[in-house]
Amino acid sequence: MGLPFDISFVFSFIPKLASTLLLTLGIVAGSLLSGLLFGLIAALPRLYRVPVLEQFSIAYASFFRGTPILIQLFLIYYGLPELLKAAHIDVTRAPVLVFVILTYGLHTGAFVSETIRGAVMAVDRGQVEAAYSLGMTGPQAFLRVAAPQALAIAVPVLANQTLALLKETSLAFTLGVMEMSGKAQALARITQHFLEAYLALALIYLAVAFILEKLLLALECRLLRHELPEAAAGRFRLRRGLTLRKLASELRGGAPT
Amino acid sequence: MRLDPSFIREALIKLLEALPTTIAITAVSVVCGFVAGTAIALVRVYRVPVLQRVAAAWVTLIRGTPMLVHLLVIYAGLTLLVDTLTGKLGLGWNSARIPMIGFAYLSFSVTASAYCSEIIRSGMLAVDKGQREAALSLGMTTMQTLRRIVFPQALAASVPNLTNFVIGMLHGSTLAFVVSVVDINAKAEIVASTNWKFFEAYLAAAVLFWGMTILLERAGGAIERRINRYRKGGVA
Repeated sequence: MGLPFDISFVFSFIPKLASTLLLTLGIVAGSLLSGLLFGLIAALPRLYRVPVLEQFSIAYASFFRGTPILIQLFLIYYGLPELLKAAHIDVTRAPVLVFVILTYGLHTGAFVSETIRGAVMAVDRGQVEAAYSLGMTGPQAFLRVAAPQALAIAVPVLANQTLALLKETSLAFTLGVMEMSGKAQALARITQHFLEAYLALALIYLAVAFILEKLLLALECRLLRHELPEAAAGRFRLRRGLTLRKLASELRGGAPT
Repeated sequence: MRLDPSFIREALIKLLEALPTTIAITAVSVVCGFVAGTAIALVRVYRVPVLQRVAAAWVTLIRGTPMLVHLLVIYAGLTLLVDTLTGKLGLGWNSARIPMIGFAYLSFSVTASAYCSEIIRSGMLAVDKGQREAALSLGMTTMQTLRRIVFPQALAASVPNLTNFVIGMLHGSTLAFVVSVVDINAKAEIVASTNWKFFEAYLAAAVLFWGMTILLERAGGAIERRINRYRKGGVA
C-alpha cells in the first residue's frame, strides 16, 4: 500500500498542513476559554457546598472525566440536536465546529473544575479564617486570600491541561472537521504518501507543543512572579497532611493523550 | 426521533461483545508500556551516558505528539517497511498478513512507554536518597536495592498517577477504530448505523466506559489505602 518513501514529500507537506494550524489553535483557544468558564461554574457549587448543584457538578466532572473524548464528541454531535429539538431549538444547521468546541470545552471544564477545587481546598483553612477575623467579607476573603494562593497551585496544572488539549484536538477529524490531522489523512490518501504525511504532522505537533510549553512556562513565571513554584511549598500554608507533591499527583494525573 | 431507552439496553448487550477487545488493547499497552517505561526510567535515573539522552528525546517526542499520530505513523511506517523488505527479499507475503490489532498493540505500547516512564521516574525520585545509600551500605547489590527498597516505595508513591495512566490508556484505546479494530467505540458505530440510533448507541458506550473508569478509580483507591497502612508510623 502507498508509494515508496520520499523524504521531499515531508517538507512539501509541512506548509500545506501548517495552513490548517490556525484552525487547530482556534479549536484549542475556544475550548480552553469555554473550559475555564465551565470549570469555574462547576467548581463553585462544590467549594461552597450548594446542596443540589453540588451533586450535578460531581456527576458532570465524573462523566466527562470517565468517558473517552471520542465518545463524547459523537454523543454531543448526535445527542445535543435531539435534546434541543425537544425544547424547540433547531441547531441542526449549526456548523460542526460549534459542537467540537463545545465538547472539548465541556471535557476540559471537567478537568478544570477538579483542578480549581483541588487548588482551593489545598489552601489552609486558617488563611480564610484569619481573613474573616480581620473583617473581610466572603468574596473579599476568597479573592484576596484564597484565590491568589490557589492560583499558584492551579496554574502549572492548567498549563499541562492546555498541552493535553492541543493533542486531543487531533480527534476532531472524526466529525469531519478539516483540522491538522484530518488534513494530513486527506493529503496522505490523495498522494498515497502516507508515512510522509504523518511524519510531517508529527513534526508540526512537536513544534507547536514545544512552543506552547515555553509560552505557558513564561506565563506561569509572570503570573507567579511573587512566588517561585519551588518556594510555593514553603510559602503557602497547605491543609494538614497534604504535601505539594501529593496534590500535584492528584491533579495532574499522567494520563496519555 | 425520540430517545429509545430499550435500544440503549439492546446496544449495551451488543457492545459487550467488543468489551474483550477494548480490555485486551488496554491491558497489553499498559503491561508493555510499564515494562518499557521502567527501563526508560532506570536509564534516566541512573544517568546511563548516551542512552540517557536518547531516552529523554524519546519521552519528549512521544509526549509532544498525539496518540493518534503515533498510531498513524506506526501503521503507515510498518506496512511500508514490511512491504519493501518482503518485496526485495521475495518472501511472497505482505503486511496485509499482520493482524490489524497488532498495530494497535504496538502503537499504544509506544505511547504508554513514554507516559509510564515519567510516572515511574518521578516515583523513584521521590524515594529518599538515604534509603538507597543505607541499602548499599548493608551490602545489597544494585539489583537487590532496586527490587527490595526503591521499587516498592516508588510504586507506592505513584499509585494515583498509575491509576490515571491506566484510565487514560483505556480511553485512548477508542482510537483503535483508525486501524479498523472493532473495539467498543467502533462497535457503537456499527450498532448505530443499522438503524440510525447514534445517540442511544454512543450513550450505551459512554455508560460502559464510565462504569469501567469508576471501577478502576475504586481499585486504585483501594490499593492506595492498602499501601498507606504501612505509613502510619508507630510500632503496631
